Amino acid sequence: MPVNGGQGTLARAIEEQEERLLNCVHCGFCLPACPTYRRLGDEADSPRGRLYLMQAVVEGRLDAGSDAFQTHIGRCLGCRACEPVCPSGVEYGHLLELARHLGGSARRPALLARLLLRVFGTGWLARPAMLAGRVLRATGLPALATRLLSGRHRSGERRDRQGRGEEPGRIARAATGAGLGLAMLAASSPARELFHKRLAARPARREHRAVGHGKDATGASAAGRGNGATGASAPGPAAAGLSTVAPPDPPTVALLTGCVQAGLFARVNEATARVLTANGYRVVPAAAQGCCGALHAHGGDLEAARDMARRNIGAFEGANPDFLAMNASGCGAAMAAYGSLLADDRLMGDRARQLAERVRDVSQLLADRGPVKGAPLPLRVTYDAPCHLLHAQGVADPPARVLESVPGLEVVPLDGAAECCGGAGIYGLTHPGLGGWIGSDKVRSVLATGADALVTGNPGCMMQIGAGLALAGSRIPVVHLVELVDESYRRAGLYGPQASRGNMPAGIRAATQPGRSA
Amino acid sequence: MIPATLTKSLVEICGRGGVIVDEERLLVYESDALTAYRHRPGAVVLPRTTAEVQGAVTAIARHGLPIVPRGAGTGLSGGAVALDRAVVIGTARMNRILEIDAANHRAVLQPGVINAELSAAARPHGLYYAPDPSSQTACTIGGNVAENSGGPHCLKYGVTSRYVTGLTVVLPDGSVAKLGGQGRDAPGYDLVGLFVGSEGCFGIATEIEVGLLPLPEGVRTLLGIFDRIEDAGRAVSDIVSAGLLPAAMEIIDGPTIRAVEDSVFAAGYPTDAEAALVIEFDGVEAGLDEEAARAAGFCRRAGAREVRSARDEHERMALWKGRKKAFGAMGRIAPDLLVQDATVPRTTLPSILKGISEIGKRYDLVVANVFHAGDGNLHPNILFDRRDEDELERVERASKEIMQLCVDAGGTITGEHGVGLDKKHHMPLIYGSAELGAMWGVRRVFDPAGVMNPGKVLPEETAPEWTANGEEQGAAEPVAAAVAAP
Repeated sequence: MPVNGGQGTLARAIEEQEERLLNCVHCGFCLPACPTYRRLGDEADSPRGRLYLMQAVVEGRLDAGSDAFQTHIGRCLGCRACEPVCPSGVEYGHLLELARHLGGSARRPALLARLLLRVFGTGWLARPAMLAGRVLRATGLPALATRLLSGRHRSGERRDRQGRGEEPGRIARAATGAGLGLAMLAASSPARELFHKRLAARPARREHRAVGHGKDATGASAAGRGNGATGASAPGPAAAGLSTVAPPDPPTVALLTGCVQAGLFARVNEATARVLTANGYRVVPAAAQGCCGALHAHGGDLEAARDMARRNIGAFEGANPDFLAMNASGCGAAMAAYGSLLADDRLMGDRARQLAERVRDVSQLLADRGPVKGAPLPLRVTYDAPCHLLHAQGVADPPARVLESVPGLEVVPLDGAAECCGGAGIYGLTHPGLGGWIGSDKVRSVLATGADALVTGNPGCMMQIGAGLALAGSRIPVVHLVELVDESYRRAGLYGPQASRGNMPAGIRAATQPGRSA
Repeated sequence: MIPATLTKSLVEICGRGGVIVDEERLLVYESDALTAYRHRPGAVVLPRTTAEVQGAVTAIARHGLPIVPRGAGTGLSGGAVALDRAVVIGTARMNRILEIDAANHRAVLQPGVINAELSAAARPHGLYYAPDPSSQTACTIGGNVAENSGGPHCLKYGVTSRYVTGLTVVLPDGSVAKLGGQGRDAPGYDLVGLFVGSEGCFGIATEIEVGLLPLPEGVRTLLGIFDRIEDAGRAVSDIVSAGLLPAAMEIIDGPTIRAVEDSVFAAGYPTDAEAALVIEFDGVEAGLDEEAARAAGFCRRAGAREVRSARDEHERMALWKGRKKAFGAMGRIAPDLLVQDATVPRTTLPSILKGISEIGKRYDLVVANVFHAGDGNLHPNILFDRRDEDELERVERASKEIMQLCVDAGGTITGEHGVGLDKKHHMPLIYGSAELGAMWGVRRVFDPAGVMNPGKVLPEETAPEWTANGEEQGAAEPVAAAVAAP
């Protein structure tokens, strides 16, 4: 059995967590909340079962390198849906990271997982990788491949295997992973058709008829301003317009630009900066920031995650904003947990905690301000709650309030919106069978809503669900919450006559540039 | 470890993912929600259909191995624990609602359907499933059938047996029997009634037909705050004596209040109170306010410091959440707890509560009470840390004394959690050899070979001699009452 010499130390580390494990009274209330248990039916794939395995390691009854520990701890999505339903308040997410840390020391993680973490965590590797991704995406090949794969994807053989909860063989897994990877890349594309064609084809409601459609809102900006003012509780559009002077002493926010977000979703970062500005925040750059370390922590590479946290603490302290704005909920949850990640760091512990307290999801920042109303978007949408927003950070209402604030938007409920989409960081790539199964259930719910678009708040979820929809032959786009708000504001002319997509003041551009250190 | 030939047959029936034989993976099936008992099963099988259960039972029976059915493992009597390396048949994959027949107020479902999810599925039809064990968000209907589960609202609505109208069961020899069904009064003996509450000893229910009720038109929920728990007990007794029939009456004592208020399910109970009494009336709107006002009056006369009423559904849900999640919230006070489950005549509640508190003091143990007061169904929770051996010893003794106290007051040893492994040895406290002999007789009709959930419910030493097919079977090997402390 491959046992690393350091395991004794790590076992002690997890042993120190024993009090937390003992909080689990084995009541089983977490079982139905767990997507893997619900599908596989094996208690070893439930939160209670995984905690029991961790406890067995602490008690010395089980080796962290054992197949049982590796398989079941590895199979956890880390969605933390078990935490809000736990009456004993077991800090499952934290324990999972420790367990992965322990498991990873006992047995080397899979090559793919190590490779991806390495790329995300290293600036000089991440930037060219993301650039290559963008170039590949721009060729249209991933989208083409997705369309070609969409027929095969629905084959009965696959469903049958999923029914038994078994992962495909190594080669089939690599093929599925590659296909999914391409589909995810294609799914990271902007929802051009939704915003340009579909919205343009639908006249807004009568009172908003003057608002311009299409790419350029310039012509309608004056009328749009008038409409946008209705019902706004926070600074009006005049004050919020980028060209206008902000209200005295506005709260400052620094945006975590992220690695995947900056690489493939730069438009979301830009939209975030614009809508925050329109809501009376002053967006300031935090130049030396880097990857938040979420994927590393979830994967059990706690040392790498701590290094990234330390670098980000320095970067954001330099900018010293009132709030850190997050538009990727996985990153938000990770940064909000910097305090506990660095709890044992004598130099940085307090600073980590103080910074973590300032972390806010963009939906929270917007909801706190009303938010300002824009032009109507006559669309039917449905919202899927990212796990790391809903379960890990307990942010449930703000996204709903932001959606409610967009005029003309019909929000239809999504069955199973609180359940993980199967994306879970790099889970879709490491566990294509089970991840695909969970993902296809999500796709089925989305299709049943008859929505024009799915709205969510995390790049991983956007790509996972978007890929799932495309592979199922659907053309329903997936958009970030702020993209909708941004479109609504743009059509209302809130950004002034000059501002159109991709044309923004230098300040915003600076604040949304990815960090330069690595 | 089960024989390789059996593993092979089981994999053929349930698929590779549906059969667990790896010793390390079996660890998690060592216990149910009563962690004092830990026994690793020989294997776990996860079938999806009646046919798969039948195939698995037949294959296991051919090898003469014992079988333990298991739902979500939320039971509190060790009923789903596998003694003697028995093979566990789990129903987690049998989680489909097969039919909701709204016009006839009935549903047919697989045993792994979660209690609360049945009610959720029935709600669009204006119906719900009445028995609501506190673990209803996690426990399965199959488990409810095995334990004849109750819940807060069984005060007015009755327990599981009142709602199960038909069963498809796989018997221990692998045959399939259909009991009852399509109506409330099937001719002949009431085998459904016999099967409900049989704690997995008679077979495995693979399809369950239940009756649903229309959602009540109105609900009123009150909260009485008391400085002395006996006063809350008196209020309960007075309310029922006056002829009022609340849907539920629940008492949450001081230590429990403080645990709940510290958890995510904080319900707004005052933390300096010694008892909170939740009273709920439901039914047709007319008259509800008057009933609630009368009950509030009884609370005040019994010494309530304050009586609140839930103003809206949100407040009502919060009050109930605090009650229903109380068991799990105990984990905040101590790592282990022993949940007792005894029923006493309602009128003895004040004196019994006092007696329990004295026993706790004598053994220097924290005893937290949260229970279905309307039914006189007590749940004293003894909190402990199993790493402290002396404390474990005191828990055992206190537990026995509490049980004796309840029996002496004319009560019984379990209200709704079942006998399982935990209460087996208390059975002679309430039954003589004639009653126990009759129970053994019934059990052997269903399970002549003694392979279904052996070692549960009936103490082996009470088993009469038994011959089946001319072969001496005798009593099963006595199983040590393994209160396992690692």
